[in-house]
Amino acid sequence: MKGFTLWFTGLSGSGKSTLSQAIEPVLLERALKVEILDGDVVRTNLSKGLGFSKEDRDTNVRRIGFVANMLSRNGVVAMTAAISPYKEIRDEIRAHTETFVEVYTECSIEELTRRDPKGLYKKALSGEIKNFTGISDPYEAPENAEIVVNTERETLEESLEKIVRSLELMGLIPAGEDNHTSPAEEVVIRERLQALGYL
Amino acid sequence: MTSRQRLCVVGLDGVPIGLLERLANEGVMPNIAARIEAGHLRSMRASLPEISSVSWTSFMTGVQPGEHGIFGFTDIDPGTYEFTFPNFAQVETPTLWDRLGQHGLTSVVLNQPATYPARTIPGVLVSGFVAVDLSRSVKPLRWLGSLRRQDYRVDIDTARSRGDHDWLFKDLDYTLQARGAALGRLWDEVAWDYLQVVVTGTDRLYHYLWDAVENVDHPRHQQAMDYHRAVDRFVGQVWDRFASENTEPDKRFWMLSDHGFCGINQEVQVNAWLREHRYLAIDDGGRDLGGIRPESRAFALDPGRLHIHQRGRYARGSVAPEQTAALKTEIADEFRSLRYHDEPVIRDVHDAADLYHGPCADSGPDLVLVAHPGFDLKASPTATEIFSRTDLVGMHTWDDAFLLAPYPIDDEELWIGEVAGHLERGFGN
Repeated sequence: MKGFTLWFTGLSGSGKSTLSQAIEPVLLERALKVEILDGDVVRTNLSKGLGFSKEDRDTNVRRIGFVANMLSRNGVVAMTAAISPYKEIRDEIRAHTETFVEVYTECSIEELTRRDPKGLYKKALSGEIKNFTGISDPYEAPENAEIVVNTERETLEESLEKIVRSLELMGLIPAGEDNHTSPAEEVVIRERLQALGYL
Repeated sequence: MTSRQRLCVVGLDGVPIGLLERLANEGVMPNIAARIEAGHLRSMRASLPEISSVSWTSFMTGVQPGEHGIFGFTDIDPGTYEFTFPNFAQVETPTLWDRLGQHGLTSVVLNQPATYPARTIPGVLVSGFVAVDLSRSVKPLRWLGSLRRQDYRVDIDTARSRGDHDWLFKDLDYTLQARGAALGRLWDEVAWDYLQVVVTGTDRLYHYLWDAVENVDHPRHQQAMDYHRAVDRFVGQVWDRFASENTEPDKRFWMLSDHGFCGINQEVQVNAWLREHRYLAIDDGGRDLGGIRPESRAFALDPGRLHIHQRGRYARGSVAPEQTAALKTEIADEFRSLRYHDEPVIRDVHDAADLYHGPCADSGPDLVLVAHPGFDLKASPTATEIFSRTDLVGMHTWDDAFLLAPYPIDDEELWIGEVAGHLERGFGN
């Protein structure tokens, strides 16, 4: 299989890292090479020293895009999980990447404020944190993302299934071999076998 | 005209050679008559037991049940004695399509029974009976959308059709048309080398209305013939297109059935016989064979798969391994003498040790009963009467499946599992 870049974009806490980590074992099971470029992790090494000005944010996202492209053109599924708030930069990276799949993790500010596991939204709303995306800095939602998951309405499993199925349908990952016959299927199979006189 | 050396196979589930020849000769199936004229029609043996899942799995793998591991539509959990339903995932031997793929050849396989849930093959697979969920019946999944938009149906509604024969014919026609539409699309859009489609409506019709097929005075006879005309047109369309796109199509077109059919005289409940002869005791209340008592020495799974209730193999098994051989001989002898109004019921009792070999042989039955035509073996755990009738009128037969090959195959005992080798050789493999 060819590599590709699976670019998650969405507000802080919307599920980018969670989903990318959930997808990783699915792809590994299907014999794909996988790397996750998580926004928080990248900032501690590849982008160490960069701040949160627009310029620094753009530089951070461009660096992630550069590395993701290098990985994906060498057969790796490169998953990125950075907020990547600006459409212009995402489109610039898309233009330079052979196979770019954008995944928008949609979630309302109200829900994110309610979740707020790190207390960041609370601090941003109180003004303690400046330039916080979605509160005091813009987030430009993608208009034509290949995949949109709504982590407010969908469970993690539903969002995961949607992404994996979409990648299968795009022919980017091999189809999974789900060999299990569910109890509900067994009920139908029993009925059919009975109808033909086998049970 | 394609430059590919393509090969096309049409399966007609359950069509016996005698019926095929008769309908071809009588003008009901003129397209098939033309193919018989051009090719070499002969009888063929099904796998034992003569069940579609067993026989088609032998066809698609080229090996017998002891190797592919499918012995019926049902198996039993050795701990709970409840039925389990073997599926395609349990077929661990590679399929014909896998082997063709190793040579870079692409297959389109539509409505192949016993391939649910579908697994990836080098090409496209759309599973047949007992496929439940279309989204798990199609590989690769990108074909799912177009099949859904075409309202593709894997099978007729058997539960409704059994009691409503108006519905049966309506559903048979619809399913055949949907199959044709799906085939056309796959044919158009896949660069295939091997294409195979199976018509399963024939088997359904025979289960419910075999008498209408056989008896010209039956009120449904004309409808039964009309369905055969529709199947013949389907085959004709496949042939016409194949012939128009390929050089020497006669040398690369095959047809076959997976078993034959005949009318039912009596249904024969093997477990009821085992109970009456004190080989089997089942307490009420358990699901399937869940109420089996430890003193039981044997039980049967459909149709005539007889299992010795052996210690170590089954949770409540009581027959010592060293007693198994003698018990098999004893039961086999008793079944051979079974009569219905002086008419012998059992044609053969096969010792599985003679019948099956391979890594899965031990998971199969210990004895396999083959009945004379007309005696339909059943294995209901609850039946109390040995001989009875239901509304079902047709039953499978073992040695009168057909093969229509491009060349004569000189093998008196040709068996369906041998066909795969011939097909592979059609590609020079």
